Amino acid sequence: MTDIPMSEADLQAHVDGSLSPERDAEVSAWLLAHPDEALRVAAYRAQTEALRAALDSIADEPVPPALDLHLLDRARHRRAGLRSLAMAASVAVLLFVGGMAGWALRGWTVAPGTGTAALAREAASSYAVYASDEARPVELAAAQRTALDGWFSARLARPIAAPDLRSAGLSLIGGRLVATEHGPAGLYLYRDGKGRRMALYVRPMEVEGTARMTARRESGVSGWTWADEGLGFGVFGSASPEYLHDAANQVRLQFQRT
Amino acid sequence: MIAQVQPLIPALRRYARAMLRDRDDADDLVQDVLERALGAWHARREAASLRSWLFAILHNLALDRLRRIARRGTSEPLEAVPEARLATPATQESAMEQRDVLTLVALLPEEQRSVLLLVGVEQLSYAEAASVLNLPQGTVMSRLSRARERLRRMMEGERPAVRPALRIVP
Repeated sequence: MTDIPMSEADLQAHVDGSLSPERDAEVSAWLLAHPDEALRVAAYRAQTEALRAALDSIADEPVPPALDLHLLDRARHRRAGLRSLAMAASVAVLLFVGGMAGWALRGWTVAPGTGTAALAREAASSYAVYASDEARPVELAAAQRTALDGWFSARLARPIAAPDLRSAGLSLIGGRLVATEHGPAGLYLYRDGKGRRMALYVRPMEVEGTARMTARRESGVSGWTWADEGLGFGVFGSASPEYLHDAANQVRLQFQRT
Repeated sequence: MIAQVQPLIPALRRYARAMLRDRDDADDLVQDVLERALGAWHARREAASLRSWLFAILHNLALDRLRRIARRGTSEPLEAVPEARLATPATQESAMEQRDVLTLVALLPEEQRSVLLLVGVEQLSYAEAASVLNLPQGTVMSRLSRARERLRRMMEGERPAVRPALRIVP
């Protein structure tokens, strides 16, 4: 028994009691014949016991509330809940912002109270009020065109001239000055061959001095708005948007030439 | 999950405190371990024992902290560590001896100390300790052997008169 080869691992496992009973008995027998090694193994056992005795009291302490798994788990779920709440909130904010942006984009990129969006509403209202007025749609008729242009030019502080839209089948009826919250605006009224009226609305722009031509539909009236060099335009009427677009292009070209 | 982990918390606290030698740091570390365990519960390999999984998380986080402390250079000399922070004072006659052994264990290199604690105190199997430390079992065995021998010499050096009695358990 005593000459059984003994490994250091066996001795350590003997200290830790992790050998099979048979092997453990062999080690015990071997140690009887090797007192120095037996002394060493006994020292290991003693130190292990001393360590356990010194540290076991920690494991016997009541676990502090900070380490309560139920609380930690709840806190974790709360955090996860807050995270998804925050996520939902940011989605809501994005939707809201997106919605607002969409709303604002009705008037290109500025708030609805200003820019060509506001101009579109004013032009459509003016069209609704004056184009339908059979008795006195204009203050100055086409015959007084020079006076009309002069009046508009003076009040809008820039050269304004009624465009000649006969190539688009439109003849000038006349015009009037319109009051808006942005100051005076000029309104020219035209008539096509079928008797339908079309309004050309012009006023200086405080914002959006330049804006691309945009299709509009305001209170049942279709039209187009744009702005060039600080002057905003609206072309509204009961004709088709395509037809109005042609007219709007004519207007734009003629104003760009002046 | 809670029912499985809860019983292991006292042992986790014990290992954490033996490694960090500070009660608050150790409990803070264990809380960190538990939070990670809760978060990674589903990523856990079922094959590995829960105990070695938790101890592995704890051991790695403890090493991170010890390295951070070492980098900061704020680690106080061992002599300055109040005994009370190492362990709750024992009331037995052997209190002195127990504090001695902890002081000496703290002097061991970290790699030896962790093996000694995991196998000797936490009573992990060699295979479990190898998995916690991410080492081959042979390396665990040789570190354990070196740790025990070094501790023995330190203990004898401190108290040369006290030699362990020859005691062979049948």
